[in-house]
Amino acid sequence: MRTFLTATIGGLSTAAIYAITASGLVVTYTTSGVFNFAHGAFSMMAAFMYWQVHVAWGVPTLPAIVLVVFVVAPLFGALIERVIMRGIEGTSEVVKIVVTVSLFVALLGLANVIWPPTQSYTVLPFFNNAALSIFGVKVGWARLIALAVALAVAGGLRFVFTSTRLGIAMRAVVDDRSLLQLNGGRPGRTSMLSWAIGAGLAAIAGVLLAGEQTLSATTLSLLVINAYAVAVVGRLRSLPGVFVGSVILGLLVAYGQQYVSSEAAIGPVSLSGAVTAIPAVMLFVVMVLQPQDRLEARGATRVPTAARMPSMKLALWGGLAFVLVTAALGNLIAGPDLFKVAGGYLFALVMLSLVPLTGYAGQISLAQMTFTGIGAVAMAAWGASGSPLAVVASVLLCAVVGAVVALPALRLSGIYLALATAAFGLFCSAMVFNQQDVMPGLSRQVPRLALGPFKISSDYQQLVLLAVTFALVGIGLVALRRSAWGRRLAAMKDSPVACATLGLNLTATKVAVFALSAAIAGLAGSLAGRTFISDEFGLPASLPVTMLAVVGGIGSVAGAFMGGIFLGAFPIASTVFAANAIGVFRFVSLPVTDLVAFAPGATGVSLGREPDGAAPQMAAGFRAVGESVPSLVVSFAGFAALWLLARLDVVGGWAFVAAVLVFVLAVVPLLPLLFNPEDMGRKLATGIFVGLCTVVTVFIPWDTAIASNGMRALVIVLWAVLVVRTAIGVHGAVPDVVPRGPRTSPDMVGIDTPLTRADAVDAGRVLGIDEDELDLVTGRSQ
Amino acid sequence: MSDHVPEPLLELRGVHAAYGSIEVLGGVDLSVPPGTVVALLGPNGAGKTTALKVASGQMVPTKGSVFVAGRDVTGVAPEELARRGLTTIPEGRGIFPNLTVRENLQMATYAGVPLGRVEEVAYERFPRLKERRSQLAGTMSGGEQQMLAMARGLAVEPKVLLLDELSMGLAPLVVEELYGIVAAIARSGTSILVVEQFARTVLGVADVAAIMVNGAVRRVGTPSQVEHELSTAYLGG
Ligand SMILES: Nc1ncnc2c1ncn2[C@@H]1O[C@H](COP(=O)(O)OP(=O)(O)O)[C@@H](O)[C@H]1O
Ligand SMILES: [Mg+2]
Repeated sequence: MRTFLTATIGGLSTAAIYAITASGLVVTYTTSGVFNFAHGAFSMMAAFMYWQVHVAWGVPTLPAIVLVVFVVAPLFGALIERVIMRGIEGTSEVVKIVVTVSLFVALLGLANVIWPPTQSYTVLPFFNNAALSIFGVKVGWARLIALAVALAVAGGLRFVFTSTRLGIAMRAVVDDRSLLQLNGGRPGRTSMLSWAIGAGLAAIAGVLLAGEQTLSATTLSLLVINAYAVAVVGRLRSLPGVFVGSVILGLLVAYGQQYVSSEAAIGPVSLSGAVTAIPAVMLFVVMVLQPQDRLEARGATRVPTAARMPSMKLALWGGLAFVLVTAALGNLIAGPDLFKVAGGYLFALVMLSLVPLTGYAGQISLAQMTFTGIGAVAMAAWGASGSPLAVVASVLLCAVVGAVVALPALRLSGIYLALATAAFGLFCSAMVFNQQDVMPGLSRQVPRLALGPFKISSDYQQLVLLAVTFALVGIGLVALRRSAWGRRLAAMKDSPVACATLGLNLTATKVAVFALSAAIAGLAGSLAGRTFISDEFGLPASLPVTMLAVVGGIGSVAGAFMGGIFLGAFPIASTVFAANAIGVFRFVSLPVTDLVAFAPGATGVSLGREPDGAAPQMAAGFRAVGESVPSLVVSFAGFAALWLLARLDVVGGWAFVAAVLVFVLAVVPLLPLLFNPEDMGRKLATGIFVGLCTVVTVFIPWDTAIASNGMRALVIVLWAVLVVRTAIGVHGAVPDVVPRGPRTSPDMVGIDTPLTRADAVDAGRVLGIDEDELDLVTGRSQ
Repeated sequence: MSDHVPEPLLELRGVHAAYGSIEVLGGVDLSVPPGTVVALLGPNGAGKTTALKVASGQMVPTKGSVFVAGRDVTGVAPEELARRGLTTIPEGRGIFPNLTVRENLQMATYAGVPLGRVEEVAYERFPRLKERRSQLAGTMSGGEQQMLAMARGLAVEPKVLLLDELSMGLAPLVVEELYGIVAAIARSGTSILVVEQFARTVLGVADVAAIMVNGAVRRVGTPSQVEHELSTAYLGG
């Protein structure tokens, strides 16, 4: 009885912390329509900040709390709203999710830079852990404070949202932002305030958690994922729901800790991670119990440019070229580097799995690495000899698991799929990948593929295998997109409501895409041919995958490759740069490795500016160059100048190659925009930026800084891509084409002007039917 | 083309507007003199809503300017215009569905009238709203929702009132009642710009009617002058 009481009181105080966190999550979600996946990272930052102020600088408890909770955190929240969230207003759910996920990754990186994990950070609990005796049970003051704060938060929020004009306006913003403006309200200010409150609540939770354990950035950020399960109880909107959910979860976890010993097992399955898995299980159960969502006609209001579909011919030739270039480049790269490059290709393949799911169907998954893990482990278990049959079996397993995971969430709206997949990732980390039989010693070797007598035996062959697989799957995806089913996916993404009224079974279609996506991720795992450790399949590993895939431009196969190489590049770049401390960077005091920790998240956050990702932006830029005379002139002049510099031996051979690449990829596609006389300030900034980058490229000592030729080539490509990506970030979205001048409204086409072929092509593009296909569909020929 | 009455309260001069690269207004001139009701008529897609968005500050014209009471307000934010006495009831239902009736009325107070007064005026005119004051606005009938929207237009005592397709999807009896209120607001001295697709509903209360076709105002006159031209406009003229 004593232990039961202790567990109950402990559970209630944990529940208090969940409730505080989750209400912060709900406040920002209901008032800004953005589900903040970085909420946990906010708590984490606050906990570290509290350590910094209280422990490192010696500020007494109370002023330290006031500073962190009431000053720094709200300012930070407001700043995030102003700088990032306001930019993604009206974009699709996917972009919103990816931007906050990126913020999560960026803050985690930032925390690791400011408070290096090599050191230990501890904060004493309030009142030095003094305790009070209730019913003969000793209860720490810290826990009582948590309970009191939760009650105060509940009352305070209720008051603000129902009784103050500002609070009501915060709810009104979600209903109809522009109507609030028409009423005279200031939605910008309202949203900033709601993010400030959200961040403040996250900070309270962070400070309350700080005394409970040694601070760890990852643990703290993820701990708050428990709050997702709690928020789902209230359908992400209801504060009373949050409090009920918190009590349930808090008690479940406390009783679990009390009564399930870490040695417990059901048959061969160890339950050591069961308590950690409780929130994930609860999330699924609650989701299954919820009634199907009403279809919302309101979706993204900012219409993304329709991705152009490559023709089959382009896909085939592109695939072939891709394999050949990989084979040639791989030949130039030496031993351990080859392994890292193959890692980048593996990520690219995993990201390819998001092309049908996110790019075509507009759904999202935050657990792709988990599926990769399932594929890898299944291959290891069934295909010790490298049999292709085992690959097929592993892939099928992933498809089935994917379908089962997605089914409950897909009946609900997009955000639930993100939550469900995140929960699935956590569940597998806690219950699958830590089982002795699954990953002995938390690592597992995936056998390399054997095709009959031919067995993959070197890193080079492995790289080529990955390239061939990528090319084949990529071509398959292009073919899929061009099929009737692909058009259905596109239609579903554009308007779920319209599709439902046409009698399409949305859920079945979505489940099928999700299964396909899981299968491709599993394929990557089963073909990986290397040793994995269990952390590589965890949620923190999956988040950057989804994020960079979207950053690369998820609508296209090329975008997935760009994202994969990006992700593979960060570890490569950090080792290269750390070893050489390249001259150019030396004058920037920020160590490059730190920058590398922070950069992936930061690029993701900039997505708000160009929700379509990098690849389509570049393609659009190139198409426009041909139509702009000054751009053509500058392009040729630039080439001539570079060539002259190389001829006169002012720059070395590698610097010439690098400069040409940066020029072709970054400068040329942006030229038509720079010559378009709108928003001169930003144009100027972009122009100066790409100019500087070209100059820097010329003067980096490529020949001496990096040892092998292949590595040099790769780093140069990465550098060029990074410049492009940042330039697009500086400039903001690149319109598909430079404006063409006045046009009649589409509604009037055919009424007061004749229907031209151009009108039909425009309409077709939006529907995902491109020009050469149009005649087929309309049954007309030109 | 415009009548030579004293300075108009609201005026669009040569307004061009575009969604992305598609231009939908190609030089709109429109003026609302003090104390008059101007009806803006035209077929679906003519650009009436867009013209209203420009007038209320929700869209910035690519060319041309907007004047309120003689002052150039081109590019001024909608919330600022709303606080200066320009009230807009947008197309669809101009209410917040997830707020209660009372909370909806509270949002109207940004225009400067205290809540007590807003409630008093609203409930006096629409007793039904009083019964439902703690009901979520989205759960009311279409007519009741539109009444709530109109209550705002009535209670904040605007200088200029912009109304977009008040009658959309409502029973004729309800529409009649609503236009009765429009007439009453007009009598109190407010200048009103009403957008409608079907002329019959609005010509009774309008002093001036303008026909818009394909992004430009094609004809301005008294309701009876323009009435017989309407049919040609709808056939794409
Ligand atoms: N958000 C929008 N994006 C692109 N085009 C739009 C948008 N809103 C309206 N249009 C187009 O602008 C034209 C004028 O629309 P609108 O002003 O709503 O006309 P009306 O109110 O007279 O029916 C139409 O051709 C319509 O298709
Ligand atoms: Mg309209």
